[in-house]
Amino acid sequence: MTQALSRVPAFAVAAVTILLGLVFAIVFMEQESDVAVISLIALAAVAAWAGTRAGVAARVSEAAVERPGGIALLVAAGMAVLMGVFVEDHFPLLMLATVMIYATVALGLNVQFGYTGVVNFAGAAFFGIGAYTSAKVASSGLPPILSLPLGAMFAAVIGLLLVIPVVRTRGHYAAVVTIAFSVLFKTFLEVNDALGGPQGLSVGAMKLFGWDFGDGPTMFGVDASFYLNYALMALAMLSLVFVLVRRLERSWLGLSLDAVRLDETGAACYGIGIRRSKIFAFVLGNAIIGLAGALYGCMQGYVAPTSFTFSDSLILVAIVLLGGMGSPWGTILAAAIVVILPEKLQAIQEYRFLLFSAVVIAILLFRPAGLLPRGVRRYFPPARKGAQ
Amino acid sequence: MDLLGQYLINGLMLGTIYALVAVGFTLFFGVLDVIKFSHGDVLMVGAFTGFTAASAAGALGFSHPLAQLAATVVFALAGTALLGAAVAKWLILPLKNAPRLNILLATLMLGTALRESVRLFYPDGSNPKAFPSLLPTSAWQFGNFTLRADSAILVVTGIAVIVGLHLLINRTRLGLAIRAVAQDEETARTMGINYTLIVLVTFALGSGIAAVAGVMDGLYYNEINFGMGLLLGLIGFSAAIIGGLGNLYGAILGGFLFAALQMVGAVAMPFASAYKDVFAFAVVIALMAWKPTGLIPERSSDRV
Amino acid sequence: MSDTLLSLEGIAKSFGGVRALNDVSFGVERGQILGLIGPNGSGKTTSFNVLTGLYRPDGGRIVFDGADLTGASPQAVYRAGIARTFQRSRLCLELSIFDNIMVGNHGRLNQGLFYNLFNRKALKAEVDAAYAEAMALATLFSPNLGDAMFAPVGALPMIERRRIEICRALIAQPKLLLLDEPSAGMTHDETHQLMSDILAVRERLGGLSIIIIEHEMGVIERVCDRCVVLNYGEKIAEGSYQEVASDRLVQEAYLGSA
Repeated sequence: MTQALSRVPAFAVAAVTILLGLVFAIVFMEQESDVAVISLIALAAVAAWAGTRAGVAARVSEAAVERPGGIALLVAAGMAVLMGVFVEDHFPLLMLATVMIYATVALGLNVQFGYTGVVNFAGAAFFGIGAYTSAKVASSGLPPILSLPLGAMFAAVIGLLLVIPVVRTRGHYAAVVTIAFSVLFKTFLEVNDALGGPQGLSVGAMKLFGWDFGDGPTMFGVDASFYLNYALMALAMLSLVFVLVRRLERSWLGLSLDAVRLDETGAACYGIGIRRSKIFAFVLGNAIIGLAGALYGCMQGYVAPTSFTFSDSLILVAIVLLGGMGSPWGTILAAAIVVILPEKLQAIQEYRFLLFSAVVIAILLFRPAGLLPRGVRRYFPPARKGAQ
Repeated sequence: MDLLGQYLINGLMLGTIYALVAVGFTLFFGVLDVIKFSHGDVLMVGAFTGFTAASAAGALGFSHPLAQLAATVVFALAGTALLGAAVAKWLILPLKNAPRLNILLATLMLGTALRESVRLFYPDGSNPKAFPSLLPTSAWQFGNFTLRADSAILVVTGIAVIVGLHLLINRTRLGLAIRAVAQDEETARTMGINYTLIVLVTFALGSGIAAVAGVMDGLYYNEINFGMGLLLGLIGFSAAIIGGLGNLYGAILGGFLFAALQMVGAVAMPFASAYKDVFAFAVVIALMAWKPTGLIPERSSDRV
Repeated sequence: MSDTLLSLEGIAKSFGGVRALNDVSFGVERGQILGLIGPNGSGKTTSFNVLTGLYRPDGGRIVFDGADLTGASPQAVYRAGIARTFQRSRLCLELSIFDNIMVGNHGRLNQGLFYNLFNRKALKAEVDAAYAEAMALATLFSPNLGDAMFAPVGALPMIERRRIEICRALIAQPKLLLLDEPSAGMTHDETHQLMSDILAVRERLGGLSIIIIEHEMGVIERVCDRCVVLNYGEKIAEGSYQEVASDRLVQEAYLGSA
């Protein structure tokens, strides 16, 4: 099997794998019963295990090294197809958009502690800042599209309040800063009347050049769900952030961030500005998280303190860890698992925090590198053999 | 005056509880250089164990409050001590050589698991439980100020536990062994100390103290709920951090400081007392900016 | 030829009342190799840490290449042209050989945000050039390294890690190289080989000065032009290896004073 596989081009193996993944996703999203969902999860787990044993996984990661752009395009196209299949259904589109929004957030967190080692246990707070910005923008009469840049900006600026303690502290001391902020933020939302108190605020729909996201577009005689708008926008946002984070990682800047995470003293002795790197990562990460939060606010139509608690921050951290620290593809996969599983499995909806905590503990104990561990940095794809 | 006195006794009460929690964090950090974030939820488990024991004792016909109190304390202490040692053995020691962040995360997740387990599996666990009043309810009157006997007993007990711990650490063979392990694993081993055993005992000890705090909290507010550990744990952690990790006095100082901050916040902003936690945590963040390794810093450990 | 590259004048450093360095003065001339020796805890590594800006000296002056570096940040010291290795290897084990060497090249690489994110073409040219340079340097030390530039360092044996650490220090062509016990954890033969390689690279770079902390006296005797001996944070002798080896104070320091 492995022998035969090595004769097929890696990219073809990857393409087939992605296609199978797409088919699986379509079938999976259509299931209603818990039994069917659980069987499919078991099937996926077995397939993943068998695929790894047979060397498919190795070939796919080879393809990801050789043609990263091609793989990314294929996956984005797969996402688009998935949206097309469910174009009329609210629920699957809402799921897909949520996955992509959470994946974006986790990419932002990845810049912070996956690359730079700046811990952030207030991810949900910065996400919330973005979401509350969208509510305020919508009610102020400004064009709703502005909530995206403004959400990113406010998250970054409010994050600046924490920059001094975050940069000066290390390890556990840094953790307490963001944990304290996370709790402080939620309490602040609950007691602040201007932000709606415990009830929160409602958010108007996104509008872009007269295109109202609250209405489902009608195309080719199909009445699409209005969530299609948000799913498309989430796809665009995720793609943009993905490319940005990818490029950041595969550059001298990404190397400096890694060096800061792995050995501050060593990095300082080779001229790397520790504070500069940390501030850069913290601010950029928060901006990305705030951007995603703004879109989330518009899509949900309301924001309330209960969506931005410390436990939510932990779930975001769990996504990063589950996928593999610093691994963008792992992050997306983990976001899909963490968002979709409890929604599809109504039986476990109630138990989701318990399950996630158990899964994360198991990951930390038995597979600390995550589901798709990050590979060694290749700044550019190596020259293909025989492609002179 | 009476209001101020009330704030004072309340602050003393909270400070004692926080200090008891913070002391646990600092003990664990001392022996293993780890943060066990599930500490607050272990406290909650202790409070629930105590509550269950009190109810069971009542159901079995031991209606005297002292009998119920004894059952509460014994079971809460034993339960959390076992839980603490188990967490150390099966979660923390296996991860000893992993990055520190991983241990913090693992225990954060364990805390969530404990919290959710109580919420989901304890009978009617998602609702607050009325903790029985097991202490005398008499009160002394000083002018306008009323000192309730239960408050006084709780504060005195808490301070006695802290003093007892101090004596244990500094005056006993066990304390010596704990201090040796905290200094250096290798040295402790060459001194013939059973390293693993001492680590487990330390975790049992710290967790038992958390149970005291949990029961105190229950007796004081007459209410416990599955989420009580999160905030108490966070405050205890913050207190240990602002005091300076690994330092017993730092933890106690941090605990009372945090309570003082909350009281100041409540007094200074009577119009918005809900902001008192916001204020206290904001000061914690500011303190970290000012003293990044706590008020009483630990020994610097980055050897070049 | 008395062209002084580095001079430490009366450097003092205490930690909580313990004097780690007390009025230590020495200099290095251009192209010279200076051995820094002394018993454990005599202040050798502390001198390196003060020199590279990790510790701030309590007193004294550091002048390097005509500029005052007293109390400068580690980053400024690196930019001035001083690179170091560490007693306990401080490589980033998860990163590739190439990445580790490039950490040392930080100052010469374009760190612009826009450049790194959007000018991928120019970045590619820079990466390729840096790759060729790193490869040339690494294969000087060990021909095997060239094939594995994208292998994680954690998978390599100790000797290769030492070599990479020295490549990391040399890639940016510093004027002064600080070697903190390069022989630690290596066999006699491996150390011999490593020193030969360092000397060979030094020939190529021309004019590189080195300060080396070392316990193996064979290494010191072989490579050093001059030695400085520290004991209890004070300089007790200075001169050629033969001179300091026959010094009574030095012998006492090593054997324990009678």
